Amino acid sequence: MLPFTYALRNLFRDKSRLAQTVGGSALVVLLVMAAAALNVGMKEVLSASGSPLNAILIGTGSEESMQRSEVSEQTAGIAASAVAGVAHPLGTPAVSTEIHYMTFLQTPDGKRGQGLFRGVSPQAMVVHPEVRLLEGTFPQAGELMAGELAWRKLGFADASSLAVGKSVLLDGAEMKVSGVFAAPGTVMESEIWATLSDLRTLSQRDTVSCVVLRMETPDDFSEADLFSKQRLDLELTAMRESDYYAHLSQFFKPLRVMTWITAGLVAAGALFGGLNTLYAAFASRIRELATLQAIGFTRFAILTSLVQESLLACLTGTLIASVVALLFLDGKTIPFSIGAFTMSITPAVTFSGLFTGLALGLLGALPPAIRCLKPQLPTALRSS
Amino acid sequence: MSLISCRALSKSYRKGPNLVTPLSALDLEVPQGEFLALMGPSGSGKTTLLNLIAGIDSPTSGELLINGQDISKLSRRELTRWRASSVGYIFQLYHLVPVLSAFENVELPLLLTKLSRRDRRAKVSAALELVDLADRADHTPAELSGGQEQRVAIARSLVTNPALLVADEPTGDLDRESANRILDLLRSLTRDHGKTIVMVTHDPTAAAAADRVLHLEKGVLLETAPGPHP
Repeated sequence: MLPFTYALRNLFRDKSRLAQTVGGSALVVLLVMAAAALNVGMKEVLSASGSPLNAILIGTGSEESMQRSEVSEQTAGIAASAVAGVAHPLGTPAVSTEIHYMTFLQTPDGKRGQGLFRGVSPQAMVVHPEVRLLEGTFPQAGELMAGELAWRKLGFADASSLAVGKSVLLDGAEMKVSGVFAAPGTVMESEIWATLSDLRTLSQRDTVSCVVLRMETPDDFSEADLFSKQRLDLELTAMRESDYYAHLSQFFKPLRVMTWITAGLVAAGALFGGLNTLYAAFASRIRELATLQAIGFTRFAILTSLVQESLLACLTGTLIASVVALLFLDGKTIPFSIGAFTMSITPAVTFSGLFTGLALGLLGALPPAIRCLKPQLPTALRSS
Repeated sequence: MSLISCRALSKSYRKGPNLVTPLSALDLEVPQGEFLALMGPSGSGKTTLLNLIAGIDSPTSGELLINGQDISKLSRRELTRWRASSVGYIFQLYHLVPVLSAFENVELPLLLTKLSRRDRRAKVSAALELVDLADRADHTPAELSGGQEQRVAIARSLVTNPALLVADEPTGDLDRESANRILDLLRSLTRDHGKTIVMVTHDPTAAAAADRVLHLEKGVLLETAPGPHP
């Protein structure tokens, strides 16, 4: 085998070519890591948002959009008494009536953004135990409680506009921020909660969006399902909360596929660019490669050295991309239509970057290396 | 005893629609320890013959025995292995690896052996000593003159101690003084170390350094002229 130093020193023969290879691979790897982090982040937030213990009673035909759903407000009371298996913490049925409403919020200094609002009663804290009040109090009339990431969904620069005690305008009505809550890893963390009656007034509706039932066990969902099928007059569909968000996840699948396609196209472009760059690099050394064969090195040994050279450049790019991703992408919150999610550079994301770097190094080097080792030895030795 | 024995050696290849035959039924015997010069006009087949003898190319027909072994029967992989141990090639343009030092260039053929690092170091130092370049071991080819580069190439060709050295216009790119030094070195390798050398040259002065001069014309050996150093 040729010494590793041969591959290493060849890297620095043409510094601009090296910069091109390292920079190109770094950009592609960064893009792939970003796409992977986006996909993982979006998928995780949607899958973590629904509890398998929660059954949602939603208007038939509105299974894909809670905001379009219309459910009679009496449903909550009927379901609480008719559905077996509803949990009763502290002796009260865990049933929450909710309105989901998308509208604009404006701050006194003119900042405006669209957010997802949820009209709730204190029972919401029982059916959504992952929600924890970090600061302030649960909202009363004229008040609202902001999720920790709501500012990001609204497109604000920071969370200061939604700090406890601040005033905001909601569809023209002045409201005060009474509290800030966390719901780690779920879309609720980017929502803003107000009282059911305030949201009913703002959304000008006399129905609610859904009724959420907290069941004793996941298997008790069948009771809620049976209820929705028996009470045809209520025009309800029962869904596991986890299934609802899994459906939403499918709804966003084309978006995720598009990010992969974009990353794939850029990677393919970079691969062809890399093939070209490496072909130029190897072609300028055809005589040298032939000399090594004349000395007695096998084509395989020379091919291995050329691949090492390419892998070194691409893995340097991968390392740079990984550092950039950790510094600038990890923990970055990205808003999307129903909330926000946090990008996380997980081991799986890092592995996807590493795999891309290896693939670029290998696939980028093999065709030009094979092509440059193909000419007959006497011909190659005479090449200029 | 002949180190090289060519019997009815032919080489032909296709170039477009034409069949080109640079060598035709050539017979040649080169005794061990001889310094042979091959001369002839361009296209006469002398480099083709040199490449066949060095195991860089394969004949179309005929026998090519080097040290008793018919190398025309070897597979490409076997031929590569044979080259590593049995022949040293000296090129007109030196063909040193620019990113490696003189020492590392000379060491390259030894990386194909099972020698320890220490033994390799000793052999490379001895080879560089022989070509009088021990003090330039750490220099890269770009830091050496043409003559020095060719001497490093000669050190590389003989570091594995092959019985046969082939040289393709080894002085073709050098000034007269450097060329004479290279020729003196090649002569000393046959005289003092018993190497067999086959050298292709256009230069009658270089050919005069050989023990024997052969002229090739259109793939056929036309004339055998004795050199000035029998």
